[in-house]
Amino acid sequence: MVHHIAGRILQAVVTTFGVLTLVFFLMRLSGDPTLLLVPQGASAQQIAELRHELGFDRPLIVQYGVYLEQLAHGDLGESLVQRMPVSSIIAARIPYTLELASGALLVALGIGIPAGIAMAVWRGGTLERALAALVLAGQSMPTFWSGILMILFFGVVLGWLPTSGVEGVASLIMPSVALGALTMAGFARMTRIAVLDELGRDYVAAARARGLSLGAVVARHVARNAAIPVVTVAALEIGNLLAGAVIVETVFAWPGIGQLAIQSIAARDFLVVQGVVLFVSLVFIAMNLLADLIYAVIDPRIRLSA
Amino acid sequence: MRGFMVELLAMLAAGMPLAGPAVAQSMMKTTLTVDLPNDVATLDPQQQWDTDSYTVYRNIFDNLVTRDTSGTIVPQVATSWHYTDNTTLVFDIHKDITFQDGTKLTPADVVFSVKRITNPAFKSAQLSQFDQITTAEVTGPDQVTLRTKTPYPVLLAQLVKLSIVPQAYVERLGDVKFNQQPMGSGPYKLESRQNGVQSVLTANDHYWRGKPTFQTVIFRVVPADATRVADLRAGRADIVRQITPDDADSLKSDNAVKVLAIPTERVGYLFINAQWGPTKDVRVRRAIAMAIDSNSIISALLGGYAKPVNIVLTPASFGYAPDVKAWPYDPKQAEALIKAAGADGAPLPFFTSPAYPQDVIQAIQQMLNQVGLKVEIHQIDQPSYLKARQGTPQDAGSLGFGLWSCACQDADGTIWPLFHSGSIWSKYANPDFDKVVDAARETLEPNARMANYHTAFEILRQDVPSLGLYQADALYAAQRKLDWQPTPNEAFFIMDMKWQ
Repeated sequence: MVHHIAGRILQAVVTTFGVLTLVFFLMRLSGDPTLLLVPQGASAQQIAELRHELGFDRPLIVQYGVYLEQLAHGDLGESLVQRMPVSSIIAARIPYTLELASGALLVALGIGIPAGIAMAVWRGGTLERALAALVLAGQSMPTFWSGILMILFFGVVLGWLPTSGVEGVASLIMPSVALGALTMAGFARMTRIAVLDELGRDYVAAARARGLSLGAVVARHVARNAAIPVVTVAALEIGNLLAGAVIVETVFAWPGIGQLAIQSIAARDFLVVQGVVLFVSLVFIAMNLLADLIYAVIDPRIRLSA
Repeated sequence: MRGFMVELLAMLAAGMPLAGPAVAQSMMKTTLTVDLPNDVATLDPQQQWDTDSYTVYRNIFDNLVTRDTSGTIVPQVATSWHYTDNTTLVFDIHKDITFQDGTKLTPADVVFSVKRITNPAFKSAQLSQFDQITTAEVTGPDQVTLRTKTPYPVLLAQLVKLSIVPQAYVERLGDVKFNQQPMGSGPYKLESRQNGVQSVLTANDHYWRGKPTFQTVIFRVVPADATRVADLRAGRADIVRQITPDDADSLKSDNAVKVLAIPTERVGYLFINAQWGPTKDVRVRRAIAMAIDSNSIISALLGGYAKPVNIVLTPASFGYAPDVKAWPYDPKQAEALIKAAGADGAPLPFFTSPAYPQDVIQAIQQMLNQVGLKVEIHQIDQPSYLKARQGTPQDAGSLGFGLWSCACQDADGTIWPLFHSGSIWSKYANPDFDKVVDAARETLEPNARMANYHTAFEILRQDVPSLGLYQADALYAAQRKLDWQPTPNEAFFIMDMKWQ
């Protein structure tokens, strides 16, 4: 088991290193941010001087070497735009990303899973059709549209919720719904299929024959079995949610990592982008590991064969 | 009963807000909330070149000189100035200004501010605005003398942008900490800054020009313009910067808010490559000038929030020549000229990036295609676009759209970099043009400069290396009760705002 985990960690380090290198060179190949930093009237000489001061005229391999050396010391570098350490910028924004991802996950799980179970159990009824429509809506409405619609309706017209920003729990509601809607649709579908699959099995028929109600069967037996594929999907979805809900963050002025990434890419603030990439890689790796661990807990077959 | 139901519904619709201030309370509010499209880059006034940083730090720091609402340069930290010769400018410094920690603002702070920003090791993005200054010295108990390499008539206009920083404080804290804890002599102090969220300023009650009206100012970061508009309508924001013409139209029906539009010194122009491709022929360039109907672009695509211009400069800038005639809109003449030049069907690469209004660019493409040209739009990202435009003539494409502002309100900052031979932007070389714009920047005499610029614009009219399209408006929206007049240089001084 320890051997297995050590192997996974080594794999993670290699993967992250590879991603960082790829991003490093790809970004710098298309140019540097000097032109974006200076006023329009700057002359060729002034631009060249600033470029030299910022170190962008050094060969790429030299810049790469310096970056690796800093990274080895735990230094993520300094943002060109904000003249502040990258680590403190990212650290300031991570809590908001975590909050939004949690809120969206709550919406997705809280609505998606019950909806999926209901659609499977009461298959063919009006409830299933209504829920299917809800799921479809969640899947098809683009967030830049649903977001602004919600802001206008609940924020401007009704005045029930704040139109933007991060002031308290009320501010979290609309962005979570907007972000969680798509994930919710995925969970509902997955859950429905998984539950349907289980409901068709012999042990369910046997349990019903013994007198257990459908509700008890679902809660005690089906749920646990159906959880396996759903957990896999959930782990990956969390990764997606944490990686940056760029559109939702932009529309709702939610200051998470996604907004930071997009703005830094546009401004060619290389070190911030790399810091974000590092964070996102680590998150995905952690989530995959977590999914594997949860698998082992839920599914005895995996545990016993290890 | 029906009346009651209607009333109840109206009450519900007007909103029982669970969060956020109601609009009706705004008259008593001593807190002003501003929505900005971006976070500040740095609050160190000398480290970046970015409108949203400047919007915030302009209220923390004072400048050497400033502009009044009519655009005239007037005293601020400097009470008066005079030239002793045409490369030496002497300033008298106000005796009673204190920084927010109580220390006195002295000529040494002014000299320190100049030296700091012109030091290449400081890596200021603003260096190009001030590098004509060769020396800065304290020359009396309340006097500073600045010298330039050659006579530089735009110096005062550039000094409008020089913020005065406290030498002792900056040296004690170091640049990194000064950026996080900026302090100036201005009407507002930085209370807190949350990265990506907001910057909060509180009033400096000992401000030398008088007590600020607002006790607290919150600058919120709201990137989506539809959301800024929603914030304003919900009363969450009192004033928002940068809205689209469509938003402005949609706000017309809301009586609680108003749109504030001001023509700026920003000129929308079409770059036309005079050194490569089909546009090398001056007939093609003149045809392009006659094929574009800026008036319909302004009314249909910019919602009327722009003014036509006859040259590549706006009336907000010194050197503007109102009597230089624009090319008339005459598509038939344009078509004839193109045929005469043998350029019918000629492909014209038009580079652009998402930073520019795509509908305007597509309208230009359509208008030019209608007179027989074949415009091919190439969308690239902004840094690549800038690189292409600043590259060799064959890399720059035939056409390009730009929105130029030197933030100096002077022709020297616009037509010199755009058209002087050898400049990175210029795909045009005319020794007669070079001569007059060089002469205009080597004399301090305004009448001589105006005459030179008049000649320069006549030359540009003949050669059409670019076409002036429109003078862009800056668009703000605010609660109706907020009294503020925006200015062409897009200054955002909270001291000038108050409730009616």
